[in-house]
Amino acid sequence: MQVTIDGNSVEVSSETTVLEAIRSLGGDVPTLCFDQRQAPFGACRVCLVGVEGAPGPIPACTTPCRDGMTIDTGDATARRVVKAVVELVLSELPDPPAEHTELAVVARGLGVGEPRWTGRRHEVRHDQRHPYLAFQHELCISCGRCVRACDEVQGAFALTATGRGFDANVAAGLDAGFRNSTCVSCGACADTCPTDAIIEITLLQMSDVP
Amino acid sequence: MSERFDSNVTTTCGYCGVGCRLEAHAHGGRVVSISPALDGPANEGHTCLKGRFAHQFSRSRDRLTAPLIRDGGGFREASWEDTIDLIAGELSRIKAEHGADAIAGLASSRATNEDCYAMSRLMRAAIGTNNLDNCSRVCHSPTSFALRKAFGLSGATGSFTDIDAAGAAIIIGANPTEGHPVVGARIKQATMRGLKLVTIDPRRIELSDYGVLHLSPRPGTNAAVMLGLAHVVARDGLLDRDFVDRRTDGYDEVEALIALYTPEHTEEITSIPGADIEAAAHIYAEAQEASILWGLGVTEHKYGSEVVRLICNLALMTGKVGRPGSALLPLRGQNNVQGSSDMGALPDTYTAYRAVSDEEVARSFEQCWGVPLSRQKGFTIPQMFNAAVDGRLKAMYIFGEDVAQTDPNTAHVIAALDSLEFLVCQDIFETETTKYADVILPASAFLEKSGTFTNAERRMQLVAPAIDPPGEARTDFEIILTVSRALGHDMGWRTPADAMDEIAALTPQYAGVSHERIGRRGLQWPVAADGTDSPTLYQESFELPGGRGQFAPLPYKEPGDAADDEFPLILVTGRRLQHYNAGTMTRRTGNLELLDRDWLEIHPDDAARLWISDGRRVSVRSRVGRIETEARVTERIDPGHVFTAFHFPEVRTNLLIGSSADVNTSCPEYKVVAVDVRPVAEQPAYTPALAEPALS
Repeated sequence: MQVTIDGNSVEVSSETTVLEAIRSLGGDVPTLCFDQRQAPFGACRVCLVGVEGAPGPIPACTTPCRDGMTIDTGDATARRVVKAVVELVLSELPDPPAEHTELAVVARGLGVGEPRWTGRRHEVRHDQRHPYLAFQHELCISCGRCVRACDEVQGAFALTATGRGFDANVAAGLDAGFRNSTCVSCGACADTCPTDAIIEITLLQMSDVP
Repeated sequence: MSERFDSNVTTTCGYCGVGCRLEAHAHGGRVVSISPALDGPANEGHTCLKGRFAHQFSRSRDRLTAPLIRDGGGFREASWEDTIDLIAGELSRIKAEHGADAIAGLASSRATNEDCYAMSRLMRAAIGTNNLDNCSRVCHSPTSFALRKAFGLSGATGSFTDIDAAGAAIIIGANPTEGHPVVGARIKQATMRGLKLVTIDPRRIELSDYGVLHLSPRPGTNAAVMLGLAHVVARDGLLDRDFVDRRTDGYDEVEALIALYTPEHTEEITSIPGADIEAAAHIYAEAQEASILWGLGVTEHKYGSEVVRLICNLALMTGKVGRPGSALLPLRGQNNVQGSSDMGALPDTYTAYRAVSDEEVARSFEQCWGVPLSRQKGFTIPQMFNAAVDGRLKAMYIFGEDVAQTDPNTAHVIAALDSLEFLVCQDIFETETTKYADVILPASAFLEKSGTFTNAERRMQLVAPAIDPPGEARTDFEIILTVSRALGHDMGWRTPADAMDEIAALTPQYAGVSHERIGRRGLQWPVAADGTDSPTLYQESFELPGGRGQFAPLPYKEPGDAADDEFPLILVTGRRLQHYNAGTMTRRTGNLELLDRDWLEIHPDDAARLWISDGRRVSVRSRVGRIETEARVTERIDPGHVFTAFHFPEVRTNLLIGSSADVNTSCPEYKVVAVDVRPVAEQPAYTPALAEPALS
């Protein structure tokens, strides 16, 4: 079947998602909860695009292509919502995310700077009881990538989404650290984390020494 | 996202044989982080705690950083020049006095293809002997032997992606979630999508919990299990008659043999319930596509190579070979255990398993290397040690292998090393083996060298240096070339890529291989001259005369050791997730913090009978040695069996292993050792005592 993306037609199979179609044409939309190693999740709403005839923007990562679909990656409503979403995410962090993180890259790409909203921010809570892996819980944006990496890539089922609303976060096992969980130390969580909420300890040490 | 590092290099993991492609990030002269390459064909963006985290060993303070020459009871640092002079002088003297066959070399399954090929050329051309072997002797040599006899080529018939395409799979004698974690994760995910998995192991491995059936054979009875499965396939009309007629030879004899292995008889031998044998045979044979995976639990036995033949029989009977999803996948233990043998680092073959006695092949090498070459088979590793003790072997050049820690019958190995006139060790650390060296050469780790590794899927993949070797240490490739030149044989290569070009030119099976072609995606051999590679073998025919697969009518035979009154338990050895083999690398990393000891797994019934409680120190004694370790009481192991790993020199598990070995390949029988286990008494044994309350 055929879809049109920003005026360009492309032939896609019925399994293809809108995000895959966009990327197959060399285009891109930002994502935060997406990782090619995991099933699409559709949690972050950062990949929103406009679709002709749809009542509002749709998430590109979880939406399958339909024959004749016309997609607008620059849709004004989608762009406005996405910027607001990222700004809201940033507004909860005690400090701006490190420059190399995916979150910082996405924010820069969207031109989102210092968030306009002031309010409650996450409290700093670190856990370095594992020889390689550290939690920096205040940086968690609940994208679910670490939990899904643990389930869908490794199959250790050690990580859990915890809390609700502003308190949503991630925990290993019963929140007693990686070593007191079923963690097998594969590091897939740190590898996928877009904010360094889970990070390799060597990298923490590296950023301490400029 | 990588700008914060000084350099980012894509390379191939140097731990197990899965062959994960890795991105190594270096900063300030050391590797600070490793992440999996998203386009790695075997790992697809994943890796395990060894590949990802266990890299600090590369800058461990006790790395060898200068050549060492024996000086009385110890060693002194020496210049490379003096050291190479000494090696060339001693090897030349020994060759002159005793002949070239008084010298032997060991290449390493941890090193690159180019290193192993260079080592082969050093021994064969510069020294003039076929006394060359590598550590695959002690792990998968039976697999290599049997696959060549049954199908023609010495490697997996397919790729890891076959696991995703299969409806059913059998894993026998392997524990992938610990030994090959990335493949283990792939299998686990496949089971959650519906793969029907049968695990066959004396221990209930983690994947058994995800499978549909677990069979627990008595150690050493794998042959009977495979024969029993074949019996049910034939009895219940599950034979692929068309495939057998069209593509194989020798089924009639097998048919007569397997008639004896009824489920009842198989149960008597293996102690697996006959009904489970029947169920397993149906699961495997009735799936549209099904694969078999195995590890050292199959090979490291007296009849290991025969069991691999019986595995091949089962695949041939059911026609489950040569299609995506129907593969035979031996899980190779070391990063380049496939490649080191492919490259001819063996006493009887040149590259691609072509015999040293093959006149035409030998001539092609003579022409390229410009020297006459021996047509006589050399010594295998165990034969080298025997010859050293006998006084026939005078010198050894051991590269990247700690034989005193990892080979069986440790006392014999040490006696052999002790009786050599001259021993060269080339390694990254001092090891148990280097204690007996006359010269120790400081070499490079996988993060410091270039070349290629060949993974368990026959895939040749590039290795690239992320950091420099420390101090005066050099790459193995450079060292071997230098020694060869000092012996008067200049190999004439500048880089490992040049060596690969020579390999390709001399080996039809690798005709189209070059570093450039290998690129990011690798090449699965055989590789045609135009660069076409072979993810799935035997789609149309087998690589044997007439193109037909060969059945082997091999009956079950008793293992080399058996439990008796004095040694009533059977010890099986294996790997733990956190460590790798002798632990030379992983024990020098944070993995030691995750796991800092070995232990002995023992069933609660045996533990209760022997007054052993969880955590208690125990003595383990076999016919040849004794060790002490800590007991862990668990139902994952069956009564009558115990299990331990071999990662810790302070335990030295291999002191327990005798010299029983595979009948065809001399691969040691690490997996069946009769032992006596007792608590180490804190009071003299005659003190009257009650059994510990926890046990009553």
